[in-house]
Amino acid sequence: MTLTTLGLIAPLIAAALILSLRRWPAAIALLGVAIAGVVAAVNVARVDDGASISGSFGGLPGHPLWIDVTPLTAALALTVVTTGFLVLVYAVGYMAEYRDHVRFYSQMTFFIGAMQLLVLAGDWILFVATWELIALASYLLIAFEFSDRSAGWAGTRAFLTTRVSDLGLYLGVILLINEAGSIRIPAGVEAGGDNASIAALLLLVGAMGKAAQVPFQRWLEEAMAGPTPVSALLHSATLVAAGVILLVRAFPLFSPNVLIVIGLVGGVTTVVTGLIALQEGDLKRMLAASTSSQLALMLVAIGAGSWAAAVVHLVAHAAMKSALFLGAGIFQHARESTAFDDLRGIGRGQRKAFAGFAVAGLALAGVPPLVGFWSKEAIVTVSIEAGHAWLFASAALAGTALTGAYIGRGLRLLWFGESEHESPAGLSWMLAGLAATSGATVVLAAGVRPFESYLDAHIPIHVATVVLSILATGLGLAGGWLVATEERRSVLEPIDAVRARLTGLQQPLVIEPALRLAASCDRVDTWLQRRVESVGSASLYLSGLVQRVDDRDHAGVEATGRAAMSTGWLTRRTDDDGIDRFIAWIVADVRKLGGRAREIQTGLISRELAYSAAAVVVLVAILLGAGWS
Amino acid sequence: MGQLIAITVFGLIALGFGATVFRTSSMVRSALALLGSMVAIGLMFLTLEAEFLGVLQIMMMAGEMTIMAIFMVMYMMDPGGLGQMDMSHQKRFSKAAGVVAFLAAAAMILLVDWGDTVDEVPAPDVQVHNLGLELMGRSLLIFEAAGTSILVAMIAATAVAIARRE
Amino acid sequence: MTVLIVALIVGAGLFGIGLYGALSQTNMVMIMMGVELMLGASMLNLVAYWRYLHPEAYDGQVFVLVVMTVMAVEAAVGFGIATGRFRDKGSVEMEEAVDLKG
Repeated sequence: MTLTTLGLIAPLIAAALILSLRRWPAAIALLGVAIAGVVAAVNVARVDDGASISGSFGGLPGHPLWIDVTPLTAALALTVVTTGFLVLVYAVGYMAEYRDHVRFYSQMTFFIGAMQLLVLAGDWILFVATWELIALASYLLIAFEFSDRSAGWAGTRAFLTTRVSDLGLYLGVILLINEAGSIRIPAGVEAGGDNASIAALLLLVGAMGKAAQVPFQRWLEEAMAGPTPVSALLHSATLVAAGVILLVRAFPLFSPNVLIVIGLVGGVTTVVTGLIALQEGDLKRMLAASTSSQLALMLVAIGAGSWAAAVVHLVAHAAMKSALFLGAGIFQHARESTAFDDLRGIGRGQRKAFAGFAVAGLALAGVPPLVGFWSKEAIVTVSIEAGHAWLFASAALAGTALTGAYIGRGLRLLWFGESEHESPAGLSWMLAGLAATSGATVVLAAGVRPFESYLDAHIPIHVATVVLSILATGLGLAGGWLVATEERRSVLEPIDAVRARLTGLQQPLVIEPALRLAASCDRVDTWLQRRVESVGSASLYLSGLVQRVDDRDHAGVEATGRAAMSTGWLTRRTDDDGIDRFIAWIVADVRKLGGRAREIQTGLISRELAYSAAAVVVLVAILLGAGWS
Repeated sequence: MGQLIAITVFGLIALGFGATVFRTSSMVRSALALLGSMVAIGLMFLTLEAEFLGVLQIMMMAGEMTIMAIFMVMYMMDPGGLGQMDMSHQKRFSKAAGVVAFLAAAAMILLVDWGDTVDEVPAPDVQVHNLGLELMGRSLLIFEAAGTSILVAMIAATAVAIARRE
Repeated sequence: MTVLIVALIVGAGLFGIGLYGALSQTNMVMIMMGVELMLGASMLNLVAYWRYLHPEAYDGQVFVLVVMTVMAVEAAVGFGIATGRFRDKGSVEMEEAVDLKG
């Protein structure tokens, strides 16, 4: 337990040290998180046999706070800390151009430390407290460049949106504690009782807010205002994952009906946000929508009754998504933008970064044998085996196909186009982070099976599901590749090149048929292209529609926030005009009275003796009066 | 009867000396007149058969008034009253206050029904014995508090009086 | 009974004189004399009450002792202040003492 404590507090101490020393922020941050990482790895090994280590400390009288190290929490903690460490390595390069390193690194380490605490929390109080701490840390980090108005606003919006949904978490936790009579999480979720379903749905609302599920998904896209390492951390293993972790921890609580609701939420979200991702014009926003979509797939897995599949995908996703964001950050540094229009052809300029990005992207799309394939295949398998297979399986497959589509589109947009060789500052640090994370997407593939048995869950592999997954991925990638041709010229380029070479041969007899063939190929190609494009544009239209609906319910969420703001304003008004004025009035009167009393005070002893004599007379009169009556 | 005559005579002496305190312009004379008044009060205590208190009063006041006279000489511009300076103010109000206080008290004294009075009191030695028991028994705390406050007053007076360090 | 009333009347007269003196005098030591007279009057009252109303209760005599203590304390502190003031201002005339004016 001592060791675990060390690992838990190391990042927090590092954050405090950075703030107090105000120097070597990156080194201290890396050291603190590295210690936590070693401890997390040791913990994973220690609970290998399914045992669990618990410890309690402090807290309320009679209700100490608990830390639970089980195979699940230990693995999650290791994921959090490892991802955090790699992102920090990357940040050393990325943040080179930024000022205010002390603030950045202290908040990042604080974020990682709080998230690790959340993952290992064994009671609801600590869980909710750390839940709030990561919300605070994410607010600070999203609004890191607070001088930019939109960044500040994005932070506020993220905070307000998650706050609205957190109401669900609070009510649910209160219900559970009430029901179980204990603040322990395992006791709470196993107690059952009449209110179990209500509590479960309330927890789901809280999880939906954090995991950016429909209808709360919008804040996540806006959270892109933060520096890219922040996005990478936020989207992979920390903030958004908290929602899924909550559902995984509370899994015994869910009745079959609640599971269907969870699956439905996941199914709707994975399709909606997948479509949003497909038509995004900005790389980072596309990745953000993709995060919602991937988390929704985890919800589908939970809905299908297999939290293990969700956890496997969570860990895989942490590696893949952080790699994607780290790659995006390199592109962003090279071009000072994240819009696809500005990023055309960046892949040719930054080949190493693009390679890492592409590997992670293909992993996310589910190309075998990368890790994403195995985790997605697990989800498809459990969803087919689940009770409502048509619902879950179609959602999982649609999500997989959409993933392929937007990854395909993104890769194509990034690869084709003009490019010159740019080399942003701090590239080697950034590449190190990227290489480690995208390498993880390859290496982890081998670890999926052992990890499943480590979690004591066994997900079979069916040929049918493998075929289905590969099919969905392939279709998606192909579709995305074609949808990407907003400029037909890029498609025709190779054909033009062929034509030019052929004319160079000066053999009209050969050239003519060849050209004719090429032309007909071109026609067929164009026709095909048009068909695909019409499908694409239909889906684009659909995406637009979804976006509009998205905007509308986003307005709803915002209205709640605004209502809270106006209540605050009203309270301030009553404060200012009512209570404050009343107090000012009393103060003025007392002051006037004091002024008058001051005039009496002449300092002359004789005068004051006379006053006391008069006062004695009054007192005696009162006493006599009291005696007589 | 003899007691009534004695108390009346000593009372008149006390009042006469008391009035003299504020009539003479010589401060030293004032102090001596106050001493006279206090001694007359002590004699009244003796007449009222409170022997211990009477003696105590006379001895204490003799010491206190002597000291007061010395302070007079030290601090007065005109201790002998040779300049016939008027050392008073707000005379009319003060007189009115004094007269009203006297009249009110006298009216109360005459109007109140005092009920039965006790004629016999214990012998002086018994009184002192009982007073001693009272002081060392039930009223011990009061006695101790009085002693402590005198000690505090001495320290405070010394602290106030010593020359300020520059 | 008559003796009691005479003693009380004398006490009332001494109190009136003391009050007049305390209010009318400008000199600090003279003010103290007025206060002493008032305290003497109250002692006289206490002794008279003890003698004629409750000779068995010695609280009255104890109270007289307490008043004497008060007189001694008053004299000590009063002279201390007078000395301090004389050192500072060279005078104990209370007409001039308006330092405490608010």
